[in-house]
Amino acid sequence: MTTVIEVQNAVKTFRAHTAVDNVSFTIEQGSITALLGPNGAGKTTTMSMLLGLLEPTAGSVKLLGGAPTNRRTRDRIGAMLQEVAVMDGLRAVELIDLFRSYYSRPADRDYLIRLTGLGPDMLKRNAQKLSGGQKRSLGFALAMAGDPDILFFDEPTVGLDTTARRLFWNEVRQLAKQGKTVLFSTHYLEEADREADRILLFDQGRIVADGTPDEIKRTLVKRSITFRAEQPQAVSALMIRKFGETAELAADGEQVTIAAEDTDAVMRALIESGLAVRDIRIDEGRLDAAFEQLTHAQTETNETREAI
Amino acid sequence: MKTLWMQSKAESTRMLRNPYFIFWSLTMPIMFYFIFTRLLNGDMPNPGQWQAHYLMSMAAFSVMGASVMTFGLRLVQERTQGWSTMLRTTPMASVVYVAGKMTAQLLLNLLSVIVIFAAGWLINGVQLSAWQWISAGLWIVAASLPFLALGALIGCMKKVDTANGVSYVIYMGLAVAGGLWMPIDVMPSVVQKIAKWLPSFNYADGAWSITDGGTPSMIGLLILLGYLVAFMVLSGYVRRKQEAV
Repeated sequence: MTTVIEVQNAVKTFRAHTAVDNVSFTIEQGSITALLGPNGAGKTTTMSMLLGLLEPTAGSVKLLGGAPTNRRTRDRIGAMLQEVAVMDGLRAVELIDLFRSYYSRPADRDYLIRLTGLGPDMLKRNAQKLSGGQKRSLGFALAMAGDPDILFFDEPTVGLDTTARRLFWNEVRQLAKQGKTVLFSTHYLEEADREADRILLFDQGRIVADGTPDEIKRTLVKRSITFRAEQPQAVSALMIRKFGETAELAADGEQVTIAAEDTDAVMRALIESGLAVRDIRIDEGRLDAAFEQLTHAQTETNETREAI
Repeated sequence: MKTLWMQSKAESTRMLRNPYFIFWSLTMPIMFYFIFTRLLNGDMPNPGQWQAHYLMSMAAFSVMGASVMTFGLRLVQERTQGWSTMLRTTPMASVVYVAGKMTAQLLLNLLSVIVIFAAGWLINGVQLSAWQWISAGLWIVAASLPFLALGALIGCMKKVDTANGVSYVIYMGLAVAGGLWMPIDVMPSVVQKIAKWLPSFNYADGAWSITDGGTPSMIGLLILLGYLVAFMVLSGYVRRKQEAV
């Protein structure tokens, strides 16, 4: 596998505000990577630096071994920005032709027209008059105009309906199979989980977790066991004796929930103890929960800081 | 080179499809021309000269307006809507973007001049030698460069509404004080003194001289060049300041 994106200790500050704080990562060819995080986490700023729209305050950003601002680099990348702008007074096909003229080896014209998903009458219409979703599909085709090796999508599916969204991701997966590298930002947690091979979790300008969706879930989320116990106090005593702080117990009448890293061991201990328990259920933490847990923890520390 | 051609073509197409262009650059000046040479033309001592002069005034008015208003506003619009950001991710050089816009604007200005001259010939049968028509037309197109530079300066503004208001006031102010609507002889002497230093007066004055059988004055040319350099330096400075964030 070849490395196509290399970010080393990138920092971006706007006056007093640090939007991206010492971020480093590398991306391999043919992968689909999600930059996931809440608004203001530094995803768009990171992407802008990758696209050469912003100069890092410190550190370095390299695409395909070159600077992102280099014209030879730009000839091999495609981007769809958060706000899809369409030049007024031009038709969709005219925009496609215009964009194809920018690149040294443009993509097939008919293929791009197919990507827009627009019918012949829509293609002849002033692009500005297209709906939000249609503009976005046109934006996708424009991003593909140079048959790029790396694709950047900033919040790509905002404003798309379910069908358009599915078509978009089907196409993106095809492109990744052809060896194109895809980097997208999203705050749709499910989208990152479902579509990406790898997630870079951003929060407050930093990467706080990096791995496959499964890995992120495993490191951040404890699984939990829920059951009904006749003697919740006895269960509680058993858990403290056997697991100490690694298991968190919450009881509501007979209903007991135990969150633990090793739910299998908790289960064994419960059965071996012979305590009367029933309706046992094991819940796997979802990425959403991980996300909330993480951002929630951050908010709390903020509040603490403010309190001090 | 092919990119520049495509870019200029796209920009020209856009402008031609813009209803405002047709209204401000063609309909308005031709309407004014008709009103001031046919309907309110009673007491002019030399109607033939007045008709030729006023034709030049209106051609200058049209081209100046397109350069100050359309060119500048488009730059602001495209930046606020994120279009120029989108273009910056492509391998097209920003020089080509601006050059394409300017080429398109100059071509459209040439078209406006031809249409307005034709209207003058049709409405009043304005008679000039072939040489006068051509040199006056070329002067109006070429000497519009300071106004394009002024448009670029307005193009640095952050908001479309501000840019719209400011460019409109500048445009109308320059047109009236520069004697494009009414000859400056009928204005107070203070305005006349100021007018001599305005780019709009010197711009139109070049074309007036040509219709009178002369050539644009050297001092007028220098003043226009001075404005061109000043606007370019100023917008270059503002742009660098904005990018330094």
